[in-house]
Amino acid sequence: MRSVRQRPGRFLATLLSAFLGAAVVMTFGSLHDTAARPGVDAVSRETLSTTAGVVGGYGTLLVFFAVASTLTVNVRQRAAELELLRCSGATPAQIGRMVVGEAVAVALAGSAAAIGPSVLGGRALLAVFQDNGQVARSVEHSFGTVALLSGARITLPAAAGAALLAVRRTTRTGRRCSGARRFLAGAALLAGAAATVSTFAFSATDPALMALPAYGAISLSVGLALLASPLLKGVLNGLPLSGASGWLAVRNLRERTGHLAGILMSLVLFTAVATATLTLQAVESDAVRASGAVKSADAKNLETLNVTVVGIIVVFVCVMLVNSLYAATAHRTREFGQQRLAGATPGQVLGTVGTEHLILTVTGVVLGTVAALAGIVPFTVVRTDGVLPHQAAGIWLGVVAVAAAVTLGTSLLTARRVLRVPAVGAVAVAA
Amino acid sequence: MRTMSRAGSRHAYDRGPAQEALRLVKVAKTYGTDGSAVTALDGVTLGLGRGTFTAVMGPSGSGKSTLLQCAAGLERPDSGVVRLDGTELTGGSEAELTRFRRGRVGFVFQQYNLLETLTVAQNTVLPLKLAGRRVDRRRAREILTAVGLGDRLGHRPAQLSGGQRQRVAIARALVTEPRVIFADEPTGALDTRSAREVLRLLREAVRVHGRTVVMVTHDPVAASWADSVLFLADGRLAGRLDAPTADAVAERLAHLGDDVTAGV
Repeated sequence: MRSVRQRPGRFLATLLSAFLGAAVVMTFGSLHDTAARPGVDAVSRETLSTTAGVVGGYGTLLVFFAVASTLTVNVRQRAAELELLRCSGATPAQIGRMVVGEAVAVALAGSAAAIGPSVLGGRALLAVFQDNGQVARSVEHSFGTVALLSGARITLPAAAGAALLAVRRTTRTGRRCSGARRFLAGAALLAGAAATVSTFAFSATDPALMALPAYGAISLSVGLALLASPLLKGVLNGLPLSGASGWLAVRNLRERTGHLAGILMSLVLFTAVATATLTLQAVESDAVRASGAVKSADAKNLETLNVTVVGIIVVFVCVMLVNSLYAATAHRTREFGQQRLAGATPGQVLGTVGTEHLILTVTGVVLGTVAALAGIVPFTVVRTDGVLPHQAAGIWLGVVAVAAAVTLGTSLLTARRVLRVPAVGAVAVAA
Repeated sequence: MRTMSRAGSRHAYDRGPAQEALRLVKVAKTYGTDGSAVTALDGVTLGLGRGTFTAVMGPSGSGKSTLLQCAAGLERPDSGVVRLDGTELTGGSEAELTRFRRGRVGFVFQQYNLLETLTVAQNTVLPLKLAGRRVDRRRAREILTAVGLGDRLGHRPAQLSGGQRQRVAIARALVTEPRVIFADEPTGALDTRSAREVLRLLREAVRVHGRTVVMVTHDPVAASWADSVLFLADGRLAGRLDAPTADAVAERLAHLGDDVTAGV
C-alpha cells in the first residue's frame, strides 16, 4: 500500500477511470432506486428501468475496459520495479496480491469519491426526463442501495480482474494468442455484416429499425479494431515517406505495433460508435420531423439514451487515449534522448512523433469510418430516399476532429515536455 | 582490421583548414543554484591537435564527463570559449547546436545509445538520414564490415552482445566522417577482450582516417591506448602524460590529489 502513497500521480489515471466509471454506473443505478419508490406510475417506471438497464450494461463494459487499460499501462510502467521485487524473492502470487490490492484500494477510493457527483448526476438526469415529459413530475429522485451496490459491484471486480490480467501478462513472458484474436475478429465482422445487411429486411417505420445497423456498426468496428495491428502493418509497408522524421516514424511504428494496438483500437471504436450512433439518431429525428408525427415516449427515450451513451463512450475513450498516449510517450524519454544524440533536432523528434500519431489517427479513423458507414448507409436507404445522409459529414468531421486533437495533442504535448530534459540526462535517466 | 585501412584510405588525406581540432579557453560550468552549487569545470584551457587520440582521466566528480559534454556542444558552458574544428561553438538553441554537431562530431557512449527499433544498418546511417545527407549504403556496409559486423546488418541491437553494440556505435560515429569523435567511457560496460577491440577501432580511426578522438575513461589500461592522457581533478587540469603506459597512468592517478595540493 505504501507504493500508492509514494506515487499518487501514477495512479491518477486509474483513479480517474474508476471515479468516472463508478459515477456513471451509480448515476444510472440510482434510476433503479427511483423507479422502485412507491407511487411511481408505470410509464415513468419503464423509462427509468430501461435507461438504467441499457446504460448500466454499456457502463460495465466500459468501466472494465477503461480500468483495464489504465492498469495495464501502469503495470507496464512498473515492469522494472516488479522485476526487482521478483529478484528479491517475491513470488508471482505475492506480486499479484500487491498489484490487485492496490487496484482495489484505488477503485474503492474512486467509487467513494463518485457518490456525491452521481447523486447530483442522477437528479440532473431525472430532471431531463421530466422536462421531456418522459417521467412524471411527481417522481422524486432517490439514491439507495441499488445504486451504491451497483457502483461497488462493478468497479471493484473490474479493477481486481483487470489488475490480475495485467500482472499475468507482464510476469508471464510472450505467448501471443493471435489465433483466438483472429477468430473473434472474424466472428465480430460476420455478425456485424449480417446485422447491417438484415437492416434491409425491415420496413421504414419499424421502431426496431435503428437497432440493427447500430449493432452492426459496433460489431464491425470491434472486428476491425481487433485486426487493426496487422492492417496497420500493411499501411506501413505501402507508405513512401522519405524525410528523416517520416523514415524514423515508419520504422518505429512497425516495431511497436503490438504496443500501439490499444490506442488504435480505441480510435477505431471511438470513430465508429460516435459517428454511427449520432448519424443514425440525426437521420431518425429528421425523418420523424419530416413526416409531421410527434415523437413517442419510446423514441424520445431512445434519443436520450443514444446521446448519453455516446457521451459516456466519448469521455471514456478520451481518458483511455490520453492516459495510454501520455504513458507511451513519456516512456520514450530515453529513446528521444538517443535520437537527439544521434543528431536529431528537437523539431525532428517532434516531427517523428507527429508523423507516427498522424498515421495512427488516419488508420484508426478510416477503419472506424468504414464500420460506421456500413451501418449508416443501409439505414438511410431504408428510412429515407438517399444513400448518404447530409448530417453525416458534419458529425463525422466533429468526431474526427476530437480524435485527432486528442491523439496528436496528447502525444505532441507530452513529447515536448519530455524534450525539455537535456539529451544527456534523458539517456542517463533510464540507463 | 586490414579491411578497414583499405576501405578508409580514400579519406585518410582529407585535411581541413584547422590544425587544432579542439580548443577550450577558460571554460567553466557550475551545476545547481547558490546554496548547493557544484563547480564541475573551473576554468579549463586546453588545445588538441588534429589526428590525436587523447584520454581524459580523473576521479569521479572531477568534471571529466562535463568537460566532454561542453566540448561536444551537448552542454553549454557558463563561461569560456569552445572552438571545434576552428569554429566557435555558439550559444544558440538546441536545434542550432545539433546542426553544428552533425557534420563535425561523432559520439560513442558507455550505454551505446543505439535505437532499439532500428537494425544495425539503419542505426549506422541514422545520423546521415537526420542530417538530410545522401545515404551511401555501400559505404555504410564497408564501415560495418570494417568493425567486424558485415554479417549482422539486419540484426537489432537487442540481438547483439555489448561489444558488438559498441562497434555499431563506432561505425555510426564514423559514418558522418566527423572531425572529432567523443567517447564517454566506451569500454565501461565491456569485458577486456571486447574493450581491446573497441580501443583498437578508436585508434584506427585516428591513425588511418585522421580523426581526432577524445575519450573519457577511468581505466588506466584503456587510457594507455591513447597518445596522451589529460588528468582532471576538481574541475581543473592536473597534469598531462604523453605516450602513456597503464602503470604510469595508474601511478599518476593514485597521486593526483598530491599534485593538486602541490600546485596550489
